[in-house]
Amino acid sequence: MANKSVWSDNRFWQRSAAWVTGFAAILLIWLTFDTSGQISMGSDADLKNGVTKRVPGPTVINYKITYEMDTKRGHEVPVIGAKEKFFGRDDYSEKEAGDLLHLGKLGSQAKNCMDCHTLLGNGAYYAPDLTKAWLDPAWESTGSMQAMTGKNTKEEAMAEFLQFPSKYPTHARMMPNLGITAAEAKGLVAFLKHMSSIDTNGFPRNFGKIQGALNGK
Amino acid sequence: MFEPFTDIVPSFFGWLNQGPLTLTIFLHSFIVLPMFWIYKQEKARLENEK
Repeated sequence: MANKSVWSDNRFWQRSAAWVTGFAAILLIWLTFDTSGQISMGSDADLKNGVTKRVPGPTVINYKITYEMDTKRGHEVPVIGAKEKFFGRDDYSEKEAGDLLHLGKLGSQAKNCMDCHTLLGNGAYYAPDLTKAWLDPAWESTGSMQAMTGKNTKEEAMAEFLQFPSKYPTHARMMPNLGITAAEAKGLVAFLKHMSSIDTNGFPRNFGKIQGALNGK
Repeated sequence: MFEPFTDIVPSFFGWLNQGPLTLTIFLHSFIVLPMFWIYKQEKARLENEK
């Protein structure tokens, strides 16, 4: 047979395809387990001992969370600080805090927040991204949203807004009244506070840069 | 050139992902380089057949 090229040989392509498919399969299985490690939730002990986890334990709601620029990583990261009262308490047990987050998560699914909002990259962009909503200065004591609701704390202001959104119109699209109860609102705010403490590698990317927001220009 | 590891949770992929395209370049090399080896083996096999 005259000088047959390797490129036109079936066996070369078969073996290459087998290698690429096999390697990619092993890589994906490895990445799955690597990811489970990355996203596993920390515990109350981790928080007390200063162990940093990408997803802190539910008792993070007992602490103040700030969003600070990390020059090394090139984006803001949530920083868990000193104790901070959440609805008048800073001693939620792991069970209580976990139940509160669970209620908030179920509430966010029941009210279908993702129909309009984005949570951790899932959802819509019809309404503001809620991934770091807890860190939005509009809800701080000097912020417009807290002033509008007439409440004295961030969590009470957010809970009030969630229960009666149509009472507090902004210049943006108005949120519909979803019939959220006081207990559900408390859970939702806890859920949002915990979500804001998750290290999302700087997502949403422009959160700190939008006008009037944290570290905004 | 060598910077301290900055990821929050240590991981092999995190270690490979500390610069632009580093993870991509590593994984693509890892897939493509053995194909040279397969190529050489098949070439030798075809030459032996002749």
